[in-house]
Amino acid sequence: MRSNGLSTNQIMRQVVYALALGIGASYYFFGWGVLLQIILGVITAVVAESVFLLLRKQDVKKTISDGSAILTAVLLAVAIPSIAPWWIIVVGVSFAIIFGKQIYGGLGNNPFNPAMLGYAFLLISYPLQMSTWQVDFLSFGQSLELLFNWTNIDAVSGATRLDAVKTGLSLGNSIDNLQVYSSSQAWINAGFLFGGLYLLLRRIIFWQIPASFIAGIAVTAFLISIGNADAYLPAHNHLILGGTMLGAFFIATDPVSASTTPRGRIIYGFLIGVLIVVIRSFGGYPDAVAFAVLLMNITVPLIDYYTQPRIFGK
Amino acid sequence: MLSNIFRGGIHIPNPYPVKNPKIVKVPPPEKAVLILQQKVGGQAKPCVEVGDKVLTGQVIAGTSSQYCVPIHASISGTISAIDKQPIPHPSGIDAMCITIESDGKDKWVEKEECGADFLSCKPEQIIDKIRSAGIVGMGGAGFPTHIKVSSVKNANTLVVNATECEPGIMCDDSLMQNYPREIIRGTEILLHACSAKKAIIAIEDDKQEAFNSLLMYNHNDKITIQRIPTKYTSGADKLLIKSLLDVEVPAGKHPSDIGVLCHNVGTVKAIHDAVIDGRPLVSRIVTVTGSGVEDPKNYEARLGTSFASVVSQSKPNKQKHKIRMGGMMMGVDVNSDQYSICKITNCIFINNFEPEPQVNECIRCSSCNQVCPINLLPQQLYWSSKSESIDKALEYNLDNCIECGCCSYVCPSNIPLVDYFVFAKAVNKKQINDAERADIARQRFEYREFRIERNMSERAEMMAKKKKALKEKMAKEKQQKDKIADAIQRVSKSKENKDA
Repeated sequence: MRSNGLSTNQIMRQVVYALALGIGASYYFFGWGVLLQIILGVITAVVAESVFLLLRKQDVKKTISDGSAILTAVLLAVAIPSIAPWWIIVVGVSFAIIFGKQIYGGLGNNPFNPAMLGYAFLLISYPLQMSTWQVDFLSFGQSLELLFNWTNIDAVSGATRLDAVKTGLSLGNSIDNLQVYSSSQAWINAGFLFGGLYLLLRRIIFWQIPASFIAGIAVTAFLISIGNADAYLPAHNHLILGGTMLGAFFIATDPVSASTTPRGRIIYGFLIGVLIVVIRSFGGYPDAVAFAVLLMNITVPLIDYYTQPRIFGK
Repeated sequence: MLSNIFRGGIHIPNPYPVKNPKIVKVPPPEKAVLILQQKVGGQAKPCVEVGDKVLTGQVIAGTSSQYCVPIHASISGTISAIDKQPIPHPSGIDAMCITIESDGKDKWVEKEECGADFLSCKPEQIIDKIRSAGIVGMGGAGFPTHIKVSSVKNANTLVVNATECEPGIMCDDSLMQNYPREIIRGTEILLHACSAKKAIIAIEDDKQEAFNSLLMYNHNDKITIQRIPTKYTSGADKLLIKSLLDVEVPAGKHPSDIGVLCHNVGTVKAIHDAVIDGRPLVSRIVTVTGSGVEDPKNYEARLGTSFASVVSQSKPNKQKHKIRMGGMMMGVDVNSDQYSICKITNCIFINNFEPEPQVNECIRCSSCNQVCPINLLPQQLYWSSKSESIDKALEYNLDNCIECGCCSYVCPSNIPLVDYFVFAKAVNKKQINDAERADIARQRFEYREFRIERNMSERAEMMAKKKKALKEKMAKEKQQKDKIADAIQRVSKSKENKDA
């Protein structure tokens, strides 16, 4: 006798479905790359998790069917460059599943967001492959060729807008002279935003984390640009570039590794937003969702403990 | 309608409603098994022997303990056994029971009536009547009613809980439809006994007929009949008080501490029967429902009647059943239908046997927190209860959990959260007991050490004294001897001189 709401497996599936809009936008602008990465990532996730479950002598079918490994793979595949060579996603997903999740005892026991752990691992280990981004639409054949023969990369690759802005600013250019708007990035972010709104409506995620995440970015970006507006990216550009919306609605809201109290979620989301702008503006990496989320994951037990809601009669 | 209703809770539609409000009277059984141990309070001592003839309503067990209420024969006949029998408890343990074989006459003892003139009785007399009629909380808690009534100081409000605490249970609904006059009268008796200023009878808004019938019979302006939204856990006394009066009973305190007295409507009816008719508690209303019966109904059955003989009247199907005493949320699963109905059996659920749903890991989705009427964080409590980190669980207010089961009900991973919390509470209780026991043992040991040391030092002191005394004595004796010797010498010397 349980509720008629969603089961854990259905929740995972719903999150994957909600990613479709953002993935669709990415397909529209860049072609098959992202889809190939997803397919490869999902296969890797299932294989890696099955092998590890066999080693742990656990029920393989039950765990695979909870959908969490597939979700991790899709999130990571969406986050990495769509023209990365095939082994990037394979290594990243394997690391995320094994060292991000299974080693702690599987779903529910991982302190860190597995997809972001995989992402951070890839970014540190393979900086070249992880910062070479696709600039134009590619056909299926071209994408497939790049996936397995990465040497022909130069013709179609470039830096992301965040990367370009960072380089431009570091060379002493004013923000006014740099091109900061990217329609493809804006549309992909919009896709994830609407997917996230769907999750909100289905009450799979709650408003606190995305709202405070976005507020954290906006407030911090505004504050650091006071009196120095031409040296920093304006707040609204922060919101539509890079992994902002994916992070706000799909990454930071991972219930396992996020704060679980209503007030705690606000603190957690807000500080991720702050960290993202701080790392983007002053750090060595152009984007920062993964590091910000991982750093805040560490603080979750503390946040949860000190933000317990007032109980009845106390 | 009320606006201050408590947070959380869930609306669960009644899956197997009883359509006909008529209460079916089950004839007195051939054999009644009455449990001596009630849910709260000590075990009653039998005051009859095997072979004795008893009449319906006669006291067959009682005790002087304040927390214990007497037990009455529910049928007339012969005591056939006083021994251990299985009782409806999840662990399937046995407990002392008295078995009566019916003589088929159902002859009552002479009743001591108070009649309509209860206002001339002193409150103490009424409380005594409630106790001697064997009345306990009929909503399922089983707490002795007379204790509750006499515990409250300066009562201001009497709350009659007619919310029907759990989905599926319909016994209070039918009780109100069939006995509205008795319930109003019972409320008046309680008002008199606890000298509260006003009474509120709280009914969930899905029980329109019951509300109407009570309204029709209520002519007392101290009594209001209040409808509250149908939501599960609104029957929990503290939450009900919050909905009705917008006060929160402080954590760790009882409603009586803030001058509110809360009684189940079934208890109120039983009080009416005891005070007005002099009828002790020998029967109760039981709902039989669930997917395994074709005809869910409310029955009035004598205490000690077996589950099976009541269930058989609701046309159970031929499938394998899962039997549960109490409601679908907080009831206990039992493994047989041969148990007997006791004072807290408000409902018997007969469900077709279904395999347990697959349990997944907790993903901390917080669905549980959102339905928790106490605003606990079950996801955190689960984590620490599972690992038996009781201190941590207590920091997350484990002891405030009312075990309503809302969290388990909504959990998308089908985790039986409440079972973990009940377990953690039991571990905590055991740890406290162990610590107390260890404390007592330590004190005993320390006292023993102290005693041994004291005895030894006392003994040494005594020995020293004795020794000293002996020495003195010996010295004295020596002196004496010396004196004697001296004297002898003197005498012999003078003798010599004389002789010379």
